[in-house]
Amino acid sequence: MNAPTTRARPTSHPAAEMYAREYKAGQLSRREFLVRSTALGLSAAAAYSLIGLKPAMAQRATPSMGGSLRIQQGVLALKDPRTYDWSEMGNVSRGLLEYLVEYNRDGSFSGMLLEGWETNADVTQYTLRVRPGVTWNNGDAFTAEDVAANFTAWCDSTVEGNSMAARMGGLVDADTGQARAGGIVVVDDLTVQINLPTPDITLVPGMADYPAAIQHRDLIGTNPLDHNVGTGAYRFADYQVGISARLERTPDHNYWGNAYLDDVTFIDLGTDPAAWFAAAEAGEFDLTYQTVGEFVDLFSAVGWERSDATTGATLAVRFNQLNAPYDNVEVRRAILEAVDLNVVLELGINGQGTTGENHHVCPIHPEYAELPPMTVDKAAAMARLQAAGHGDTDFTLISLDDGLGRFTCDAVAAQMRDAGMTVTREVLPGSTFWNDWLNYPFSATEWNHRELGVQILNLAYRSGVAWNETAFSNAEFDSLLDQANGIQDADARREVMARLQQIMQEEAVTIVPYWRSLFRHYRPGVVNADMHPKFEINIHHLGLSA
Amino acid sequence: MAFFILRRVGVMALTALCLTFVVFFLTNLAPNLEKLAKTQGNARMSDAEVISWLDRNGYGGPLVQRYGEWLGVVPGWLREDPVTGEWRGRCLARDQAPEDAPRFCGLLQGDLGYSTVSADEVSNIIGGRLQLTGILMFWAFAVMVPSALLVGVLAGMREGSRLDRSLSTFSIASTATPEYVSGVILIVLLASSQIGLSPLLVEWGWLDGGTLFLGSARSAMDDVTFWNFTLPVLTIALYGMGYIARMTRASMAEVMTAQYIRTARLKGVSFRNIVIKHALRNALIAPFTVIMLQFPWLLTGVVIVETLFNYNGFGWTLVQAASNNDIELLLACSIVAVLVVLVTQLISDIGYVFLNPRIRIT
Repeated sequence: MNAPTTRARPTSHPAAEMYAREYKAGQLSRREFLVRSTALGLSAAAAYSLIGLKPAMAQRATPSMGGSLRIQQGVLALKDPRTYDWSEMGNVSRGLLEYLVEYNRDGSFSGMLLEGWETNADVTQYTLRVRPGVTWNNGDAFTAEDVAANFTAWCDSTVEGNSMAARMGGLVDADTGQARAGGIVVVDDLTVQINLPTPDITLVPGMADYPAAIQHRDLIGTNPLDHNVGTGAYRFADYQVGISARLERTPDHNYWGNAYLDDVTFIDLGTDPAAWFAAAEAGEFDLTYQTVGEFVDLFSAVGWERSDATTGATLAVRFNQLNAPYDNVEVRRAILEAVDLNVVLELGINGQGTTGENHHVCPIHPEYAELPPMTVDKAAAMARLQAAGHGDTDFTLISLDDGLGRFTCDAVAAQMRDAGMTVTREVLPGSTFWNDWLNYPFSATEWNHRELGVQILNLAYRSGVAWNETAFSNAEFDSLLDQANGIQDADARREVMARLQQIMQEEAVTIVPYWRSLFRHYRPGVVNADMHPKFEINIHHLGLSA
Repeated sequence: MAFFILRRVGVMALTALCLTFVVFFLTNLAPNLEKLAKTQGNARMSDAEVISWLDRNGYGGPLVQRYGEWLGVVPGWLREDPVTGEWRGRCLARDQAPEDAPRFCGLLQGDLGYSTVSADEVSNIIGGRLQLTGILMFWAFAVMVPSALLVGVLAGMREGSRLDRSLSTFSIASTATPEYVSGVILIVLLASSQIGLSPLLVEWGWLDGGTLFLGSARSAMDDVTFWNFTLPVLTIALYGMGYIARMTRASMAEVMTAQYIRTARLKGVSFRNIVIKHALRNALIAPFTVIMLQFPWLLTGVVIVETLFNYNGFGWTLVQAASNNDIELLLACSIVAVLVVLVTQLISDIGYVFLNPRIRIT
């Protein structure tokens, strides 16, 4: 129901028309077409009409008014939204702090606090049109000043842990660590112009990501729990870290969109899926954040509704190249050669996904290039390892004590042992695992889905970036990535992408064993609770059937 | 008696001091502080950021000085941020001027500190959690003690009888099964809609869908019912029950062989009267101490049971505090644990005097 009423423009974007041609020629999938054309500022409806299809947006049902809902999800300590490091944080505050743009399940973007946006032909200038009539729950009007203040704050790379700075790309001045002068211009009360030095196609996905929650212009850098000021229909009524968070509808607040439920409670049941299942059978919640592994079938067996989303989410079983012996490329290559990814897919996630290719670009990404399959040869792998002088080395593979991490790493370790390598497995509980995830020599990290293939490469594999857990640093890779970031055409970018993917395979940066399908279960009668490729839960959409 | 209690309180204070120092030392080891900085700041912080975070948040000084700050014998730290000019300090409330803040704010001033994992004052957290655990313990004791005494007395009054053998087997089995085993078995048997008793009962029409009991006690935090509280209470009670029953049985069996019991028997007193009027009081002295000893045992038991059944009481808080290296919350938990252990032992010593007139405390 929150489907935005983006103004239909008589002319569409030239690049979008190009995408439409590519779609019709079969070079782009429907999903890729939607991602890219809506990122350029077309409404989903306009994008669909370009390719002669009816919008699929109207699928969202209208729930009945009122009621309350309980969601099983980790309740983490909140902080300055820019520094959010888990999608759970975005979910729990999304009822209060909304986003400019929302990424939909079908891969399209729709405006939330923005009514719409346009770009110039070479994607260096974005014009953001602020939704009129939106008010903060303290009575202030939501204006272009708020949007500009948030952009300025996102670009402040001097703030510890501000991951939005990486998403703003060229808007951040590398010398000052702040927003580039003249980069953010308030044109009038309802218009903001973003000027980029180089073309950037990832700005809109960046605005839809979970750390991009919009704060009041005077409250930048604060914890939303401290002020409870937001544009959303809800506010925090109670917040106990590790236990539960309750949001209630804000009285006397004129919310711009539709919200159905009276209150929503997030219930933290720890990281053990068995405990979630026991609690589900005890009727203690209505909706899971995510259902994993064997519990997908179990939840279905007790009559809960299943919803799934195919994504580019994966578990990267990666080496940290600052640690011996993983600084030796031959060791890394040997391990990659020994691991049969089909087996890892089968044992790690019960085959709930598609096989990966040891590089971090997924077939559903628009710029994915198909490479020749990698060979698995256990004997050659062991010979390679012995040649490198590490035939007797004991590899310690560290993983999180959850279904996904544990089983996948067990499968990887088993494959390595089959080849004759010595592997020690170390399983750490969630509370300790994450404290040092960047620096473990050999471990596995869960990566969420990103909209475009270049995004995750920028976040995790560029030299020296905050989330570069592999310590991978390659000048050719970096410069090619810069190049790819500026190429708008999917086919042209694919050529660069093919080389980027190849480098990842040649340098044996990480094992990317599979692309996961994500699942969620909900009690029959819950409406609009479908799984989202980025785990997003927008409580404004949720409701109970009439 | 007053001197005895005073001495006990002194021992208690000393124990608490030693224990908290040990906990403080362990939680302030460099890797643990790094862990704290990363959970509090950002999981993806670099080493330099970690050091600057620790320094800015008062974890930079020498260990003993910071322990003194926590105790309240050393003035709390106070620092001005060189960049923003903002004052931060241990005793500083939000938006408080540095000159208005108290100099000392530690345990002696009644300030338990700040829990980093819960982002709240420790005193706000501990109270509610203890209350939840108190409710759980109360019901566990209410089930455990009467049934254990009954089993023990029944088994011990005729040593070697068939009743004794079967009850002893039961109590040995129950005390040999740790909570994390019995809890899981109970959940599987009674709280699953797929296996165990519940699907059978549904099939027979005795149960209207769902499960016999609830395998999660989360709802019991708001409202304790028979359905959501039976399994956690039973899990704790079963373990302690076998032990107390065994002690009671041994003590009862010994008393039943005493001279005065034989005399009473020869005088023609009925067996029932012998057990109730002559044997019971003497037989209960030993179990009384054991029951009191069960309090500290239960504290460890609730750690497992509360985590298993998702009941967010004291035990669960302890696990959370330990796994997240929440220093001040962990210290507060240690103090509570010391208090519980030593107060129950004090009660047990005093109670002993009333049960056994031959013992006198001086």
